[in-house]
Amino acid sequence: MMMNGRDMFIRSLVRYRLICFLIAGIVIGCELPPRNSATITRAVSVGDSVRVGNEEYVMITTAVTMPMYVHHDQAAFIKWGKARGVKVSILGPAEWDVPAQINTIEEVIGTRPTGLLINGTDPAIAQAINKAVAAGIPTVVYDSDIPNSDRHAFLGTDWYEIGRMQGEEMVKLIGSKGKVAYMGILGLTNMEQGFLGMLDVFKNYPGIEVVGKYDDKANVETAARITSDVLSAHPDIAGFCGFDSNSGPGIALAVKEAGKAGKVKITTVDWEPEHLALVKDGTISMLAGQKRELFTWYGAQFLFDMVHQTNRLSHSDAAAGITNVPSTINTGLLKITRENVDEFIK
Amino acid sequence: MIIPRIDIADISKSFPGVKALKHVSLSVAAGEVHALCGENGAGKSTLMNILSGNLQPDEGQIFLNGNAFVSNGPRDALRAGIAVVFQHLSLAEEVSVAENIFVNQQPVNRFGLIDHALLNKNSRILLEELNIELDPSSIVGSLSPAQRQMVEIAKALAKDPQVLILDEPTASLTDESIRVLFEIIVRLKKRGTSVIYISHRLAEIFEIADRVSVLKDGEFKGTFPRKGLSREELIQRMVGREIKTVPRTRDESGEVILDVAGLSSHKFSNISFSLRSGEIVGMAGLIGAGRTEIARAIFGIDNYNEGEVRLRGKAIKLSHPIDAIRHGIGYVTEDRKKLGLFQEMTVTDNIAVSKAESTTESNFVDKYAALRLASDYRTRLSIATSSLDQLTVSLSGGNQQKVLLAKWLATSPEVLIIDEPTHGVDVGAKQEIYNILTDLARNGLALIVISSELPELLSLCDRILVVRRGEISGVLSAGEATEEMILSLAM
Amino acid sequence: MFLKTLIRDRVYSLLVLLIIVSIVAAIIFPATFPTFGNVSQLLLNLSIDTIVAVGMMILLISGVFDLSVGSIVAFTGCLTAYLMEFYSLPVPIALVLGLCSALMIGWLNGYLIAYQGINPMIQTLAMMGIVRGGALLVSGSGIQNLPYWFNAIGQSRLLGIQMPVWYMLLVVFLFAFLTNKTIFFRRYYFIGSNEKAADLSGIRVKRMKLFAFMLSAALAGVAGILLSSRLGTALPTMGRGLELRVITAVILGGASLSGGSGKITGALMGALFMGVVANIMVIARVSGYWQEIILGIILILTLWADNLVQRRYKLNL
Repeated sequence: MMMNGRDMFIRSLVRYRLICFLIAGIVIGCELPPRNSATITRAVSVGDSVRVGNEEYVMITTAVTMPMYVHHDQAAFIKWGKARGVKVSILGPAEWDVPAQINTIEEVIGTRPTGLLINGTDPAIAQAINKAVAAGIPTVVYDSDIPNSDRHAFLGTDWYEIGRMQGEEMVKLIGSKGKVAYMGILGLTNMEQGFLGMLDVFKNYPGIEVVGKYDDKANVETAARITSDVLSAHPDIAGFCGFDSNSGPGIALAVKEAGKAGKVKITTVDWEPEHLALVKDGTISMLAGQKRELFTWYGAQFLFDMVHQTNRLSHSDAAAGITNVPSTINTGLLKITRENVDEFIK
Repeated sequence: MIIPRIDIADISKSFPGVKALKHVSLSVAAGEVHALCGENGAGKSTLMNILSGNLQPDEGQIFLNGNAFVSNGPRDALRAGIAVVFQHLSLAEEVSVAENIFVNQQPVNRFGLIDHALLNKNSRILLEELNIELDPSSIVGSLSPAQRQMVEIAKALAKDPQVLILDEPTASLTDESIRVLFEIIVRLKKRGTSVIYISHRLAEIFEIADRVSVLKDGEFKGTFPRKGLSREELIQRMVGREIKTVPRTRDESGEVILDVAGLSSHKFSNISFSLRSGEIVGMAGLIGAGRTEIARAIFGIDNYNEGEVRLRGKAIKLSHPIDAIRHGIGYVTEDRKKLGLFQEMTVTDNIAVSKAESTTESNFVDKYAALRLASDYRTRLSIATSSLDQLTVSLSGGNQQKVLLAKWLATSPEVLIIDEPTHGVDVGAKQEIYNILTDLARNGLALIVISSELPELLSLCDRILVVRRGEISGVLSAGEATEEMILSLAM
Repeated sequence: MFLKTLIRDRVYSLLVLLIIVSIVAAIIFPATFPTFGNVSQLLLNLSIDTIVAVGMMILLISGVFDLSVGSIVAFTGCLTAYLMEFYSLPVPIALVLGLCSALMIGWLNGYLIAYQGINPMIQTLAMMGIVRGGALLVSGSGIQNLPYWFNAIGQSRLLGIQMPVWYMLLVVFLFAFLTNKTIFFRRYYFIGSNEKAADLSGIRVKRMKLFAFMLSAALAGVAGILLSSRLGTALPTMGRGLELRVITAVILGGASLSGGSGKITGALMGALFMGVVANIMVIARVSGYWQEIILGIILILTLWADNLVQRRYKLNL
């Protein structure tokens, strides 16, 4: 017996009735995400659900074991907790793993902490922040802003400024002309901002030639290897700019080994003891330092002030849908050179 | 009274659930070659492991030259002068012959570094003494299995032991090397070294042993002087029952199934023969003559350059074993462990695997069909297994071989190639396998049997192809063939 | 008899362990652990790993593994996002092209390993670096603002549970069925048990291995698309360290590095167990320093206990 395609289709529909119903059920039962996440975020009723006296503030970062985070961000946060007499916890994956940080935020939301202090590692965490805010948890972002999120406040450094500071210092150091190379972790939003700031400064000086942008993968050995390669490819290189914690020590190592310490200028970020020692001995000319302690101390304080309604601006700030802490704080930069380096060495 | 070199007194050993040795007592004199016989599972390996210090007896004692000998490990046994050459090779493949022989006792120079010149010299002396033609500096990985076995023996003798235990030493040896080995044993005997010789090959035992001890199911069945002991008597003591042999009725009338015409590759050349249904054709030859390579080419494992394989007159293309299987060819490999069995999988899985590959009817696993198939073959081939879910690793050699046979029979082949059908199989099971093969031939299956045991080929086959250096050097019919004729064609 | 299967089959022993751990956690944290929100969240968080783990389980059953899956997750997500963002391709076409790229990577891995004989660890290690570099190349610092319908794939809900969880269950049960019931997938057990014997039994081992690498890469590709859809962003750093996490879960779930053993449901159980432990540690506010230490200890303890039990079982045989 011959059957046309339509008959076949209907017959098979009948035969696989159950599966068809199931698929139909799934399609109907499926709940699509909101078109625009901002529109459904209800006015936050911060403060209503707070159990004062049983407070817990949670910091969520990624790469929790990174020494710079431990010695600055986390140390200041723990100190703040002791000073206020409240419980503080630090959570997040040990490696740089943004999806894992997001998972941690989303799992912590369910445990209803008093306040969340989140390291703004990547724009991708915006949704998780919005969930926390929607759940009524005061949420402060530090280090890098997540502009497309509903975070209550942000404290951090303007990375574009870090780039500009390095760029301007480098121009001075090399007399507005010569070859410059720079490195950092490629692909990170804040670093790319920093690169941009530096390049915007160099644009005004036609004598400066940028010979390369390199990924040192936040690794001292990689930074050193890249530097020595650049040194042999461009023996007349005038300066290096570094953008992550390990760039400076790596560049300095290779420059020292090439016997060009002091002749090839180096500017970089962060002021860990090793960076300071390299400024002291003249290998590194300038450090653009961040005030990381202030991110977390004041970030935690903002959370506390929101919870306790320290500065109430209306009858009920929650009902009015306003936030009673500053929205964006630039903590500014430290400029460390040979002149003031002794003040930082412990 | 003469104190025996080694005196095993009332040794018992049990493992959870099994009593492996029950009050075994036997003694070996200095300069004696003492054969130890028994089927697989009789307790030979357990006894050897106790002697070599790998296991501790539950009861009983061992006396070495009259002194109680307690060992806490192989090192103690070695120090006391007991050296073992195990069936499973213990050599480091990437290292030279000399270093393997003197492992852990390499001579050193005054800086404490290995003195390679002296090491090689010592090895050369030892190898010459043993009449083994080998360069001490060659890498073990490049040697043939027979040569490795000789290195293994040299390694044991480098320690100048009082007692040498040889566990199936000839399993991978060629006939020439066996001669060399026997000469070594005779010389050791003269030096007063005691040799304990374990083998499934009764011919060897009758040739070399002074006395024979028999174990069966962990029990000691007595020690007998070789003189006056008949082959049948020995088998009966080992097996404890009489072994029936089904007489082979030879029938020439089958049609030609397989036709191999002018097959050549870099391993063999111009191989031509045909095979009729119901016929058993043997392939004899020295190890390395190219018999296995020919089988691999017919089964589609290795490529051949020239010639063709015809099945019922039609040339077939073989690019992978699956092509051969779908055309009705099966191949039971020589090395069960490496190439045959899925050791950690069940009897059922092992039996059903190739049948599932050969049919394209269904994409789905039919567990019940597989179980039926396995249970059918368990009965037909009388495979001794506690359950069909048993892992094949725990089966005896004979039963493993039957599982492999079942796997190929399940694909309903027309041609079955069997490489060393009774390698590492004990006497009782050997005969069973012969009976199965004869039975299969009677039912029309065409069989190619590759074997290094000439009596096996002579009793089993209708025709014997002798392969020498990759070429067929002669074809003998069952009636006219003798061991001498085969050997003269093979050498 | 029941106890024997319980002890011998890792899926069941892990399930029992999981139930015990969950009950203890529910008693200690009654308000936060046994809630619908928390459980659906922890399932969501482990769904991506589990989808990759299914492919890894099949590879480990056949005795090989793939270190490049984490990079494939990143690359596929980034490439799909890149095509939608910079070439304005419609979502379905971008998805297909993204998955094809994953298949290509898997094909290359499989071809070089199965047909050219390159060691799987070296091949996939090299591929891990190459593909990660590719992800950085196409996405720079990450691609945001992905199309609505792309985000809907990972952010929609069914019965209040986000879709990746359902996809994970679908993948797990589909492959559990296939590896149990089809001759095709059963071959991987034979290959893992004895590769040479499998070839001589008529299984085309090379072809099967090639397929396994392509399958594992395709599942990693699906995971990458789901992850970027769920995040609404494609990040080049996605899936960092995922390969080792997944291999850990799969081994915890009963696979062995030497091949031949393991079940797809074991991959789910392994990932589930790790997910629950990680979740409990977040709830208990155990710092990130400790999480990896504790997971490492659990892995060693499980394998050690298993080894003891198996040895005793074998002696009793």
